[in-house]
Amino acid sequence: MKETRRAKALISEYFIFVIFIALVVVLTCLKPSFIQPSNLVNILKQASINGILAFGMMFVIIAGGFDMSVGSTVAFTGILAAMLGQGQYPIIVPLVVAMLGGLAVGIINGVGVSVGNLPPFIMTLGTMTAVRGLALLISDGKPIIGISEPYKAVAASSIFGIPMLAVFLVIIILICSFVLSKTVYGRRVYACGGNLLAAQVSGINTTRIRISTFAIAGLLAGLCGFLMTSRVTIGQPTAAESYEMDAITACVVGGVSMSGGVGKPWGVVVGCLLITVIANGLDIMGVSSHWQKIVKGLIIVLAVLIDVKGKSKKR
Amino acid sequence: MKKKKFLALLLTGAMALAALTGCSSGTETTTDEGAGGETAAEGGDGTYRIALIQQHQTNAFQIGVTEGAQAKADELGVELSILSADQDAAKQISQIEQCVSEGYDAILFEPVDPDGLRDAAKAAADAGVIMINIVSACTDWESAGISAVSCGDNVKAGENEMQHVADLLGGEGNIAILTGPSSTTDTTARLEGYRNILANYPNMTEVVAPADCEWDTAQAQATVESWLSAYDLDAIVCQNDGMAVGAGNAAGANSGIVITGLDGTPDGYEAIKDGRITGTVAQDGGMMASSGVEAAVTLLEGGTLENNLIIADSVWVDASNVADYE
Repeated sequence: MKETRRAKALISEYFIFVIFIALVVVLTCLKPSFIQPSNLVNILKQASINGILAFGMMFVIIAGGFDMSVGSTVAFTGILAAMLGQGQYPIIVPLVVAMLGGLAVGIINGVGVSVGNLPPFIMTLGTMTAVRGLALLISDGKPIIGISEPYKAVAASSIFGIPMLAVFLVIIILICSFVLSKTVYGRRVYACGGNLLAAQVSGINTTRIRISTFAIAGLLAGLCGFLMTSRVTIGQPTAAESYEMDAITACVVGGVSMSGGVGKPWGVVVGCLLITVIANGLDIMGVSSHWQKIVKGLIIVLAVLIDVKGKSKKR
Repeated sequence: MKKKKFLALLLTGAMALAALTGCSSGTETTTDEGAGGETAAEGGDGTYRIALIQQHQTNAFQIGVTEGAQAKADELGVELSILSADQDAAKQISQIEQCVSEGYDAILFEPVDPDGLRDAAKAAADAGVIMINIVSACTDWESAGISAVSCGDNVKAGENEMQHVADLLGGEGNIAILTGPSSTTDTTARLEGYRNILANYPNMTEVVAPADCEWDTAQAQATVESWLSAYDLDAIVCQNDGMAVGAGNAAGANSGIVITGLDGTPDGYEAIKDGRITGTVAQDGGMMASSGVEAAVTLLEGGTLENNLIIADSVWVDASNVADYE
């Protein structure tokens, strides 16, 4: 009796993972080329940038915040990286500048939210608009071309058949998971999102913690800007439109609560893979893009609905 | 309670600021002798005042329009103010109204929406302003008070692109199409051009439904990567150069797949040079804008146009002639 109850609890805990496996099986049956190694490499590549953004977003949401500006930040830092990545400096320069640019946007967001006491939605909506304008301004509205061969190779190369982009993603996943689940800092992030007042009273410097979560999201958005320019070989001021929504989707589908304090890194990994697999699978089946939008929306709502129902039954 | 008051104050401040900047951006280019504007219409001080309202200024094509118009205006010695409607039809309508009340002699605009801008154009024309469409035209433009249209022909540009693909493939093969957002006239007209040519080549088959990649390089790249692991494609026909670059990145340089774009922008030319894409059909936005300015000045000087529909031809650009277009 106890055994079955525990099994049931386990299944509901990992329900989103079960849905993911089911989807992979269904897609493989419908279109065998889905499971071929070359396509699995595609999925890894396509999941990487959104995955890295989603991990930054995860910190912000778990601490009780919300960041609308990461898409614009990717475009802005992508332009910076494209301008500095023409071969005039070593490849580390565009990487560092892009990440610092992202970090700056993140810190501004964090200070506005935790010191200025603005709602995260308003604050990051403001930076989302302004930073997109900044990207258009410094690029003069045009795509930046002519990035150097070594820079192009960053995203195009692979190690033992694993694309470099995915290597970046795995490193970020490992670092973030460790920080969030094994360090004092990580526990404080959860505490801030769970109950801000209680966290304050128990002596946590909540202002600093909340600024740091936005800073992490900005820093990772800067990294994505660098990688994005390398992947598409041009810096585009209009790139990464609504990427913040994809990152939020990956978090929510992966079980991160929008009210803060709840969420596990592995859930975000699965959430991110799930939406990439949906897009990739529908492309492979040649489904028209209008239907793709409908199907994507339905699967997101259904996945979360089943997940929530499964969890509430447990109680 | 305190917080609410603070927010309200902040919002009011923001709105006041927006109103102020809105006004100033509308008038920034009027000269210090603004009061004499009305007499200037008859050539009193010799310079005509022309406004250009672009759809947006966020890609290389549109920047080409800006530069082409400015160069022509400098050459002809007219005063040109350039505004951007940021893809918003309502904003473009207000900008037209604003320009009329500021006494501009002629207004050139790229309609954000072919139907939605007709009434505003008509009202401006009735107020005595010369109205000219560039890049694209309002529906039934002559009855909307538009005096002339200077544009490319998206259907013909689409035909040009697909004809070159058909020639390169010898009239048979598997093709796939990447489009812009399905709701825009650019997309539907270019697609119509493709279909006109495909009707002559029964052995060219579309193996997948056209994918809407929203003019975006990264999205096109992901879609084509997925396609290539499932389909055997001979050609990928894209509705702009940005998406063609994405397709080219996914296929790799000199992949043997014919990949074509449309518009003729710097990112496309770069990809043609290093073999990632095969060619593109160049649409010269600068040419359309400069012809539009020229037509406006001719009409303001009391002349007549030989033809009030000025079509800028599209040109096929590939590795052999790309050096001429950079």
